[in-house]
Amino acid sequence: MHEMAIAQSIVNIAVAAAEKQNARRITKVNLVVGELRGIVPMQLTFCFGLIAENTIASGAHLGLEVTPITATCKKCGETFIVEDYRYVCPKCQSGDVQTVGGTELRLRNIEVA
Amino acid sequence: MKISVMTDILEANDRIASANREVFDKHRNLVLNLMSSAGSGKTCLLELTAEAFSGKLRLGVIVGDIETTRDSERLERHQLPVVQLTTGSACHLDANMISSALPHLDLSQIDIVIIENVGNLVCPAEFKVGEDDKIMILSVTEGDEKPLKYPLMFRESTLMLINKIDLLQNTNFNLEEAKANARRVNPDIEIIDISCTTGEGIPAWISWLTQRYQTKFGNLKRA
Repeated sequence: MHEMAIAQSIVNIAVAAAEKQNARRITKVNLVVGELRGIVPMQLTFCFGLIAENTIASGAHLGLEVTPITATCKKCGETFIVEDYRYVCPKCQSGDVQTVGGTELRLRNIEVA
Repeated sequence: MKISVMTDILEANDRIASANREVFDKHRNLVLNLMSSAGSGKTCLLELTAEAFSGKLRLGVIVGDIETTRDSERLERHQLPVVQLTTGSACHLDANMISSALPHLDLSQIDIVIIENVGNLVCPAEFKVGEDDKIMILSVTEGDEKPLKYPLMFRESTLMLINKIDLLQNTNFNLEEAKANARRVNPDIEIIDISCTTGEGIPAWISWLTQRYQTKFGNLKRA
């Protein structure tokens, strides 16, 4: 349930950014979330809805762009998307790979009215 | 209208974590954030560590649990300064909770602060608390595929202790597979096999800890 704490931060950041621009209402909040973060989108959306109540973000839609886990093969240099925890290079089958992407947790932008 | 924000969502937490870190640095504390699932042996490891360091480096512990003060009671028997944080429903410690614990520890009398996080393989890895290193325990009874299923914690950790290795022959846990899986997620992770029951590997853990302290501060404060 780290989703609750994360949702609270999202609302805080979004409301502060909207108020700075004198916006009256937030209609959408767009996030970039890496798959490695282990965030359950449905749970985050639910928590966000609860916490946004009685703020100018109340009823806002949460846009989640999930970025996949990517790894680079240390043998052949291939960069690939890791699916189903298969940390194996699809090109040369080496298991000697390094995770390079999928840890993002960022608020990209908000849409306001 | 669209407003660009581009802010790390945990930025507020990270700011408090940096402030905590400054306080720790000022008092020459090495700070480790100890994470694992529930029941993997965190408190037991701390008890053994307290015994091993008795009269040498001075430990202090901040322990997080959802309910009860049983862990802090266990640790206090070892004459350790302990602050217990009961998190209520929260599944992890965050920087703000650690900040609230600081006034209750005499940091000037402590060399190493170990923060025993809430038992949970997911959430604690998300939140910086002001530590120098995140370290974790994986126990043999949990399974060797855990690094791939819960990659963030393994990725964030400097050190992984594999505990309960005395039980290896009673499980289908493959030690080499577990290490290979952890290194896929984090090629730089250091690994020490231990058993809190037999004491195997505890000296290696103690020397890792001592070395880490010396790397940060040079010679031992009390030497």
